[in-house]
Amino acid sequence: MKSAGATAASDRSGKRANLLFVLIAILSLCGLADALYLTIEHITGESVKCTIIHGCSEVLSSPYAVIGGFPLASIGALAYFAVFSLAILKLFDYRIAGQLLLPLVGLMCLVSLWLIYLQAFVIHAFCQFCLLSAGITFTLMALVFVAHWRGGVKK
Amino acid sequence: MKRILPFIIILLVLGVALGSAWYLKRSTTDVHRVSSNSLPGPSPNSQNSNPATAGVGGAEPAHTQGPANAPVHLEEFGDFECPPCGLLHPILVQMKQEFGDRLQITFREFPLVPTHQHAVAAASSAEAAGLQGKFWEMHDMLYENQKEWHEAFDVRPIFEGYAKKIGLDVERFKTDVNSEPVAQRIFLDGKRGHSLGVKGTPTVFLNGREVPFESLPADKLRVLIKELTGTK
Repeated sequence: MKSAGATAASDRSGKRANLLFVLIAILSLCGLADALYLTIEHITGESVKCTIIHGCSEVLSSPYAVIGGFPLASIGALAYFAVFSLAILKLFDYRIAGQLLLPLVGLMCLVSLWLIYLQAFVIHAFCQFCLLSAGITFTLMALVFVAHWRGGVKK
Repeated sequence: MKRILPFIIILLVLGVALGSAWYLKRSTTDVHRVSSNSLPGPSPNSQNSNPATAGVGGAEPAHTQGPANAPVHLEEFGDFECPPCGLLHPILVQMKQEFGDRLQITFREFPLVPTHQHAVAAASSAEAAGLQGKFWEMHDMLYENQKEWHEAFDVRPIFEGYAKKIGLDVERFKTDVNSEPVAQRIFLDGKRGHSLGVKGTPTVFLNGREVPFESLPADKLRVLIKELTGTK
């Protein structure tokens, strides 16, 4: 039988882990909004225009902005939606969801690093919306990593 | 209930995301949508078909090609250093040839600073040529040779070369490029663009309504102009 102190400590730890997944869900929604905006800009052709904000049109009209005929941003939107879904499922005690988050967000991080490399060394222009997405992904990675480190995904 | 609640939340978010995307797409294209129903056309009832009815006025007299009483007015906000504007140039030349007196084209300066380092110099050159009555000649020269000067370090000798080629008084051109009237024209066109919500180039208005960028290829633009001229 657990002592009252141990139960209270376990509750606190569970609440902290839950808070992490709430943050992950909120951040993934921000990423989803960013990626959806970029997708619509791509579909309507607005991103191909030259704009006062230097960089976005150069990056979004480059061949790297499309993969297999799909705008890269739309794949990003799907990835953020998957992260959101997994975080919500984890909050409702679907253990497997928490375990899937690490490889998914890890993969998104690698893609973000590749995209930053492309912007810096190949396209020679930076798109703020793409950098925002990368920032969100790196923050997600940190949160997921903390959740794993604290054992939140196994509970 | 607790087992299905997360799926309800996920589906709800999916619905909101898809709905927002649909709304954003619709509002982007609706603001600019051009159709025979929404645009003032050549009908007798549409007396205010001139694009100048919206937004603040730009530089006067505007640089135009085609008669003022043409049923279709196309107003372009362009930047001579912008590659998509360079791609639009031959399309507009083609439209002018095809529609003749039924189409009036107006060009407005919208140099994007600091995106394009030579954009203001190019706009100034075109306006300086305009002071000698050869705006369109310089306009064509700048677009047709965009790749040549786009990456040059110093564009002045190149533009002076164009001025000579189109028969301008080069000494006067050199003075006019940095003159107040030229700067004023660029400023006024830019002011008009901002008042119409122009954020990038090329931005094209047909009878005062913005044409979405996706409708600027020749085949789509031709259809839109045909609708406005009432031809099939």
